[in-house]
Amino acid sequence: MGRGPALNTDRGAEAPTRLLLVEDDARIRQALRMALADEGCEVVEAPDGESALAALAGTPVDVVLLDLMLPGVGGLEVCRTLRARGNLPIIIVSARADHRDVIAGLEAGADDYVTKPLVAAVLAARIRALLRRRAPGTTGVATVVRAGDLEIRPDEQVVLRGGRPVHLTRTEFGVLLELASAGGRVVTREALLRRVWGYDYVADTRLLDVHVRRLRRKVEDDPDDPRCVLTVRGSGYKIGQTG
Amino acid sequence: MRIVGPSLRWRVAMAFGLVSLVLTGALATVTWNLASGYMLRQREDSAVLQATVDVRLVEASLRAGSGGLRDLLAGLTTDSGSTVLLEREDGWLTSGRQVDPAALPRPLMELAEAGVPARQRVVVDGVLVIAVTLPVATDGSTYVELFPLPELDRTFRFLSAVLIAGVATSAVLAVTLGSWLGRRALRPLTELTAAASRVAGGDLGTRLPDTADPDLAPLTSSFNRTAGALEARVRRDIRFAGDVSHELRSPLTTMANAAAVLERRRDELGGTSRQALDLLTGEVDRFQRMVVDLLEISREDPDAADPVDLLDLGELVAAALAVRPGPAPAVERAAAPVLVRGDRRRLDRVVVNLLDNADRYGGGPVRVGVTRHAGRARVEVDDAGPGVPEHLREQVFERFTRGTRAGRRGDDGGTGLGLALVAQHVDRHGGTVHVCDRPGGGARFVVELPEAAP
Repeated sequence: MGRGPALNTDRGAEAPTRLLLVEDDARIRQALRMALADEGCEVVEAPDGESALAALAGTPVDVVLLDLMLPGVGGLEVCRTLRARGNLPIIIVSARADHRDVIAGLEAGADDYVTKPLVAAVLAARIRALLRRRAPGTTGVATVVRAGDLEIRPDEQVVLRGGRPVHLTRTEFGVLLELASAGGRVVTREALLRRVWGYDYVADTRLLDVHVRRLRRKVEDDPDDPRCVLTVRGSGYKIGQTG
Repeated sequence: MRIVGPSLRWRVAMAFGLVSLVLTGALATVTWNLASGYMLRQREDSAVLQATVDVRLVEASLRAGSGGLRDLLAGLTTDSGSTVLLEREDGWLTSGRQVDPAALPRPLMELAEAGVPARQRVVVDGVLVIAVTLPVATDGSTYVELFPLPELDRTFRFLSAVLIAGVATSAVLAVTLGSWLGRRALRPLTELTAAASRVAGGDLGTRLPDTADPDLAPLTSSFNRTAGALEARVRRDIRFAGDVSHELRSPLTTMANAAAVLERRRDELGGTSRQALDLLTGEVDRFQRMVVDLLEISREDPDAADPVDLLDLGELVAAALAVRPGPAPAVERAAAPVLVRGDRRRLDRVVVNLLDNADRYGGGPVRVGVTRHAGRARVEVDDAGPGVPEHLREQVFERFTRGTRAGRRGDDGGTGLGLALVAQHVDRHGGTVHVCDRPGGGARFVVELPEAAP
């Protein structure tokens, strides 16, 4: 019986990746739990938002898989609450594929957005990519990187702006680090998606655009007139040299 | 039976013209008769008066002796341009413009010889004259005086020219007016036709503007009601397809993952079970793609929030080809980047679906061209397969048609929506897609999009 490659986790290399699956459809929960177990993941189930938040209080998990259409507290609300609490990786798993739903989900703080129907193998690949970029000390960049008034310390996953720490999610951190490492050269959207999210090829770059928007809100004086994270029209992004 | 006559507008214009022609014609005829009759009578009366005076002078001259007669006659005709003929025993004595008495009408001369005063309009030597005959009281001989009418003739010519021109002008004006009125009256119909063809062309939101005109209001409201009902119906159908696909997503997720769990344990299964599992996973996979395609095709109006980027079509094609398994086709790219403005995800779908289509029905793509053509960005996907027969070239872009393989859906694994999605996405970007023969055999799918300025 083949097993998926062991997933890196924050809880220690030995333990299997633990996922919190927030999904109101019992059959989907059951099928995904079995299939994700085949991929080497341990699944904690929650049928609605309240029980999800309650479960998180007692059980440490590595990644939250979040449905948007939930009874009671909606998925977006749960996502915002979790993001307000910290950096816990969130992947939205939704039947809604409309542009505004995707944007709303990412704006609420999700790291990734996948649409049903999907298979566990795809989900596991996304989880692996997400955890890879979230594992501290695995960026391979040891030195401190500077971009304008930002000081990026990859080892500690810390960004200082004018000496004061800026609170970034690790996806935002990943994007910023990729751009800063390029030292003012243009990084294409495809390259960013590949390096940060680990996608081979994604035609849909909304994911990136929303994260850049969120990043700008945290590191720019005026997010509508960015000086640090610059858009290169029709190509990608780069770091402004002067800051 | 259908008789194709002149258009309604032209019939109206012609009727206007005809009525105007008859009316102004009658008016002109009456005017002509009255005016010319009156002027002629005036002129004749004055001619008779003049002749009567002249004949008195002649009589006086004859009575006094014939010595000054010739001079008198010459004097009478000097200024007026008239002609005087006096019959003497030794023949006609003529003064003024020379006229042969034989050229005068016979009945008039008979009356004159009988001693009856008479007058008549005649043309002598090409000149219109009034001939007045009077008996000479002294000896009973005949006096004839001819008064030419050059002014009157000119006046008549002018009058007739003016009247004819007036009639013609008014007829032309009436035709123009009729045509204009016809067009004006038919404008609502023209607008209705245009609106109806927009609806037929797929613009279901088309409505006629409200009008206060009581003659047009029923037509407008009836059209708008019909179009509204049609739009609602079409939208309901589309939404239904979308809702169905949406509802299918959850059970499909369960099925796909359950199938994946089984697939991992296929070694534990017997031969028959394994075959059944393969069928199941294959079909679940196709089912998934079909639902995703259905959802995509039944998305309603272009989402205002849909992203619009400046895209290099060449890069898009290269990226799509880079992740495809199998031998890569030759790529022909224009030297400068071919840019379009649009939704990257949708345009990527267009390229991928065309490549998939070539895989499924044309034995794989053999060439992909990214060029510009008359201000349009152009993507061509060629295959070396059997091509698409002429009569199916529109149909292949409709939903659930599989060209020559329709009905044989056994092994192609397609969803039947690929090319329909291509057509829909391209249309949404203001472009066109068609299929033609590839030079050298096979099919060539051509997508043309508005080119964007860099």
